[in-house]
Amino acid sequence: MPLRFENDFLKKLEYLHVVSKRALAGQNRADRLSPKRGRGLEFADHRPYAAGDDYRHIDWKAYQRLNRLLLRLFDEERDLSIYLLLDVSRSMAEPAKFDMARRIAAALCYVGLAHLDRLTIIPFGDDLGRESSPGRGKGRIFRVFESLEQLEARGPTDLRAACKAFAARPRQLGLVVVISDFLEPGAAPAQEPADADGVGPAVKDAIGPQAGLKILRTIGHDVFAVHVTSERDRDPGVFGTVRFVDVETGEVREIEVTPRLAAAYVKEAEKHADTLEHFCGRYDIGYVRADAERPFEDVILRAFRQGRFLA
Amino acid sequence: MTFAALTAWQAWAVLIGAAGLAAALFFIKLRPPRILIPSLSLWQRVLDASTELTLWERIRRAVSLVVTIAIAIVLALSILRPSRIGGAGASAHGRTLVVLDSSWSMSARTRGRETRWDRAIAEARRIAASSDQVAIATTADGLVQGLTDDSVLVESALARLAPSAFGDTSWPTVSGVQSVHFVTDGAVPHHLDRSVVIHSVFEPVNNVAITAFDVRSTLTGGRRGPDSQVGTAYLEIANFASKPQTVHVTMFRGKGKIADSNTNLAAGEAYRQVVPLARQGDPALHAHIEAPDNALDVDDDGYAWIGRARPLSVFVVGEHTEWIRRLLTNDPDIRATFWTPGTYRDGGQDVTIFDRWAPPTVSGQPALFFAPPDDTPWLAVPGDSAKDERRPRWDFPGDHAVLRGVDPVTLRIDRARNCESASLVPIARTSRGMPIICAGESSDRRLVVVGFGPAESNLATAPAFPVLVANAVEWLGRPANRDLSLRPGLTPFVGPARITRDDGESVPLTQLPASSFGVLAAPGLYTVESAGARNTIAVNAADPQRSNVARTTLGSGTNTAPPRNPLERPWWLACALAAFVLVFVEWWTWQRRITV
Repeated sequence: MPLRFENDFLKKLEYLHVVSKRALAGQNRADRLSPKRGRGLEFADHRPYAAGDDYRHIDWKAYQRLNRLLLRLFDEERDLSIYLLLDVSRSMAEPAKFDMARRIAAALCYVGLAHLDRLTIIPFGDDLGRESSPGRGKGRIFRVFESLEQLEARGPTDLRAACKAFAARPRQLGLVVVISDFLEPGAAPAQEPADADGVGPAVKDAIGPQAGLKILRTIGHDVFAVHVTSERDRDPGVFGTVRFVDVETGEVREIEVTPRLAAAYVKEAEKHADTLEHFCGRYDIGYVRADAERPFEDVILRAFRQGRFLA
Repeated sequence: MTFAALTAWQAWAVLIGAAGLAAALFFIKLRPPRILIPSLSLWQRVLDASTELTLWERIRRAVSLVVTIAIAIVLALSILRPSRIGGAGASAHGRTLVVLDSSWSMSARTRGRETRWDRAIAEARRIAASSDQVAIATTADGLVQGLTDDSVLVESALARLAPSAFGDTSWPTVSGVQSVHFVTDGAVPHHLDRSVVIHSVFEPVNNVAITAFDVRSTLTGGRRGPDSQVGTAYLEIANFASKPQTVHVTMFRGKGKIADSNTNLAAGEAYRQVVPLARQGDPALHAHIEAPDNALDVDDDGYAWIGRARPLSVFVVGEHTEWIRRLLTNDPDIRATFWTPGTYRDGGQDVTIFDRWAPPTVSGQPALFFAPPDDTPWLAVPGDSAKDERRPRWDFPGDHAVLRGVDPVTLRIDRARNCESASLVPIARTSRGMPIICAGESSDRRLVVVGFGPAESNLATAPAFPVLVANAVEWLGRPANRDLSLRPGLTPFVGPARITRDDGESVPLTQLPASSFGVLAAPGLYTVESAGARNTIAVNAADPQRSNVARTTLGSGTNTAPPRNPLERPWWLACALAAFVLVFVEWWTWQRRITV
């Protein structure tokens, strides 16, 4: 399915920008405030002049008043490095889900390109795929569309291994957006009964997808998890004897789906999402759930803004 | 235990096989559908969490298996219908003949809304179940099932029987039976042997009945015109109840209602109603009564036929027919048409009168011949017989229907022709023995030949003339029956006939050379066709003796069958019902995924 957005929707995206909870310095000038002091337009502070400083930044009015050489400092506006980690494992092969994930990635790319951020699209399964950087400027969105359209869902998922591979390479700290269904073969997080405050189950030793998110957070990136789910993930939708086949491992399991078992599955799927959200909350990781059946514009313009990811 | 037509071991084998087959089918696993899912991890967690349900699941699966086997067994039982015919305790009864009283008083509904017949059938089943071998008979049909130990045959015979009105046959006998049981309500007395065990199904119930319904002629019937009466409808109703009742009476002529009234009848009171009938109109009459406490339905309807409402069509063929014209044109029951021999066309008439002329071949319609010509080929007199007789004497009128009431003494005949023929039977002879009036009847026509005419006798002016013509036309135009108002049951008809019900269905008849027999099962109007003529007869169940279902002729020492429990049905019906319920429960629980 070709990835194309309507002009009206693109205009709406241009008014948005990606919110980073932390000020991260980029490499190029842009319109995003960075922690560095430099040649920006916004006055930030003074400091005593030292040999070698650019004398063009000496505040002569302050010298006249204080008889001291003070140097004017400005906030430097830099770009933001945004890494879009897109899950392309077989578990994402369901057309509605994979399409939603790619469209979210495309929309975030357009928002970043419109604000001159540095974007890197990294597909992953059990390892990182071929990275692609479209460049800067919103005119590059078509290259993003092309690269996303060429992606295919295949192979198993191992977010932990993918994140370790991501962390193994030196990269500019930035915003890492993980777009995935966070379903991995055999990934059952060990859980404590409940927190003292009763909020919900706590993760003692993060394994599986949570472990990957924790790695990204630990090395200093600002991390955001986009949890893409579909109706099939949340509800078996069938009754009777069914032979379920895990698309990633090929494992077959014959299950007699009774109404009670189906209800338990729905509950477990909900708990899986809640556990992930709770984990993200504990580690200051942004979390947004994107249901594949939900209108795409509604996900971007409403869910992402409510999740404080876009503003 | 004997299982229907199977031996015990065969029946057990069928039952075990059915149960085994059901169990095998239960365990056959259908290939489940394959569904691709993103991950089995969630299912793994769900199944780990629900392991405590395994025991419950096993129990449900076991219950479902038991239900499935039970369905198979009860279905097999309901098909095989096993019964204990001839157990150790029942062998003392030996071979039994069960005779059911099938008079229509057995159709009376009791207070429990079942009929006496239902009780009788239940009693017959009970007797059959305690006998080694049983034969079934009814008072109307005789033996309907010979001695057998097959419960299916007995049940089949009982299922197809029904009260069949009148026509009681001789008492059925079966050789070798050790006991005879008669199940009756005692409405009709039977002279029975002392050894017959009588089982009474009598229970006094109230009834209202039409006890008489007929059409009676009136003195004004001879007048012509649309306002003239053809007769009166006579209706008699009786309240055979122990309390007063309001009876709603309606009477229809064709589809039009000619009487509609409510009548209060005291207990045991009879009510008579006479309704004048106009000449013009539908000849079919139907009376119907309704009452709140009325046990019998068959006597609530009465039927009658106004024969004179439809005049006979008579063709008169001859050169000089004035002598008979006045007689026919003044008869309101006859519509006469006059032809000369040259213009005569056959067809459409009920009777043809040939006046001193005869067609070369015998007519296909009922026909009356006066003085046919001597050279009529189909009236050739045998060689040694006299062809005519001068001044014959006719002294004895004979007993044929054509001659009923004819006074031959008033006739003065100058010359009479011999009417003897191979196809005719002499019904009047001269004193010398020469046939002068002959009648012939075959399956498709009737003929009357009078050997003299107005030219050689005073026939046109004699008192015997109108009687003779009226008798002949009536005999020719309408099939002869002893009675035009009959009771339901086996009925004889004169000569070969064809009987058709008012709904067009033919009544099967047993044809004999001179008569035929048929069973007129239900009240109503029946069309009789015989010898080329057609008539309609009414069959009514009206009978004060049998409609009074509040009394019985049985004595106090009679075995009385207990009222049948409405739940007391053949047990295999309960099996079939149980199978249906189990299938429904299994289907319902399967739909709701309660069972596996």
